[in-house]
Amino acid sequence: MRPFPKLRPTAWDGLVALCVAALALGIAFFQWRGGTSEALTAVVSVDGTEVDRLDLEHWEEPRAYTNNGYTLTLSWIRHNDAENGVWVAESDCPTQDCVRTGAIFRPGQSIVCLPARIIIRLEGGTPDPDAVDAVLG
Amino acid sequence: MRRLALSVLLLLLLSGCGGQMSPDEAQESIQVLAMDTAMLITTYGERSPAAAYACEDTIRDLEKQLSRTDPDSEVSRLNAAGGEAVEVGEDLYILLHEAACLSAETRGAFDVTVAPVVSAWGFTEDSFRVPSQAELDGLLKLVDYNAVYDRYLPTADPRAAAIGPGQAIDLGGVAKGYAADKIVKVLQEHEVPRANINLGGNVLAYGDRPDGTPWRVGIQDPARVDEQNAFAGVLALTDSFAVTSGGYQRYFEQDGKTYHHIIDPATGYPADSGLTSVTVVAPALEGFLNGTMCDAYSTALFVMGEEQALDFWRDRSAGVFELVLVTEDGRVVVTEGLADRFTLDESSGYTLEVASR
Amino acid sequence: MKLTTKQLTFCALLTAMALALSYLENLFPLTLAIPIPGVKLGLANIVTVFALYALGPGEALLILLARCLLGSLFAGNMNTLVFSLLGGLCALGAMVLLSRRRGLSVYGVSVGGAAAHNCGQTAAAVWTLGSAAPLYYLPVLLAVSLLTGALTGLASACLFQGLRHTDLMKG
Repeated sequence: MRPFPKLRPTAWDGLVALCVAALALGIAFFQWRGGTSEALTAVVSVDGTEVDRLDLEHWEEPRAYTNNGYTLTLSWIRHNDAENGVWVAESDCPTQDCVRTGAIFRPGQSIVCLPARIIIRLEGGTPDPDAVDAVLG
Repeated sequence: MRRLALSVLLLLLLSGCGGQMSPDEAQESIQVLAMDTAMLITTYGERSPAAAYACEDTIRDLEKQLSRTDPDSEVSRLNAAGGEAVEVGEDLYILLHEAACLSAETRGAFDVTVAPVVSAWGFTEDSFRVPSQAELDGLLKLVDYNAVYDRYLPTADPRAAAIGPGQAIDLGGVAKGYAADKIVKVLQEHEVPRANINLGGNVLAYGDRPDGTPWRVGIQDPARVDEQNAFAGVLALTDSFAVTSGGYQRYFEQDGKTYHHIIDPATGYPADSGLTSVTVVAPALEGFLNGTMCDAYSTALFVMGEEQALDFWRDRSAGVFELVLVTEDGRVVVTEGLADRFTLDESSGYTLEVASR
Repeated sequence: MKLTTKQLTFCALLTAMALALSYLENLFPLTLAIPIPGVKLGLANIVTVFALYALGPGEALLILLARCLLGSLFAGNMNTLVFSLLGGLCALGAMVLLSRRRGLSVYGVSVGGAAAHNCGQTAAAVWTLGSAAPLYYLPVLLAVSLLTGALTGLASACLFQGLRHTDLMKG
């Protein structure tokens, strides 16, 4: 049995809120920084395995990825004639969070679809032309 | 917020004008968990979704017929028939005969009837143990591909197959290769211009990459299995099958010794030939079961070892198949037909040798 | 831990209420406004706060475990279990520690719990997806948890106010 709780906010509550806000800002600083480089690559991972790297400069048509019984259609978008981005145009997953996330434009940003276990992440730079397409082993 | 609103607006505009896909750019990627492995199927072209799902159906259909652990599969019924002929479907009929032929070609280094020995080691059910010599001696008497070869029944209707009494077959060593062969047909039917099919150690590089260059297929470095993107080297392939067999793929340890899953049908023990992996590459040709061939050869040549494997390669005419061998003593041996399509990974520390005819 | 019949009944009642609250908030998904996986009101947290003060940490843990397990079963999706469990355990742990500080009110405890819940859920997402990508959303989730935490804190405060003179609060 705890002591009966205080029911009015105190200064200590403010401190807790400040700590949470500081944590949010701290994580935001590390996760959200990253310059606006011109060239972008969308990296698509299915079940933790990277399946595709898309050069946003030269990618035109939507692509579909299926996993865990759900299909996402990924599409490309140009914003302000300068920035390239990527968005999930369509998904048959129940939560639709991936669709509602909208378009992402900056390196480090990502779209996550938990039901399909698919992640789309933006990286700076163009895809490495030497990257392999398949692994034997 | 403005950016979000703008992008949403653009999305609506864009989604209104679909339907003008250039056939090369449309793409479908699916992952299929079948035949004890994770497979990645990426198809291109206008009909890429239908093609990808047709590939999945082909794989699942084959798995159902060829599984050794499913008691209702055709293979299980054949194994339980005690040497009697059993009516089978077209796939098992073709594949069993092909596997027996490949066993004969490799003089038993790949043997379709080695299943009882592999099971004794626990590789079928994942209950690993080291069998006694007496047990192996008894089981090795059952290992004889000739019994299957001789029982080939050339009747097209009804199709029937038989193996020797007490024998058992496991087509795990050729099933993925055969699936790749069937997938080539599926891709042709769907007019797929290019595809990248990875059936877990069996790759079909179909057509070329969207940028017009060959598909780049990395060969896992057997010494650095735990690292992603740690390659012995990279192959540049178009319209080819490539299959790798290596002792690192499946093994268990007991009393400080490592036992891997590639059993030498001659000794009943895991092959100890000085190789850590064998990659077989062959062109995807119409009318040939080259995927099946690559699958069986990669096992057989791993068992044979470097010298015999290269002799086996020299015995066949140029262009049939090519090899990449990774040896225990730190060398990568590439056959000459593949030399200009193979790039050694410098960070692997291997020395490159080119074998000539 | 030995429970009297009265305590057991009370725990069962709170579990049912927590499940009902989880169901209720699914009817008004907060993700419609903020489209990020994991954003929600966290109404079930009110029950955890209440159980923590009215019964104790052990009972609160029991209720939490029962709620997560039954919730995933009802949803027919055991994949969600690891998310709700890790989130719930982090929230409870944080609130047990915070409730020991005499200077804090239920508001501070709720906000801390909500923030810890999001940290736990993000950890579960990082673990199941095998990628650090979900960390990208954590700052937004934490900012939202300031609001939702304050809201559940307010609800808890009203609850305690109403029950102040009943014998419920005496265990």
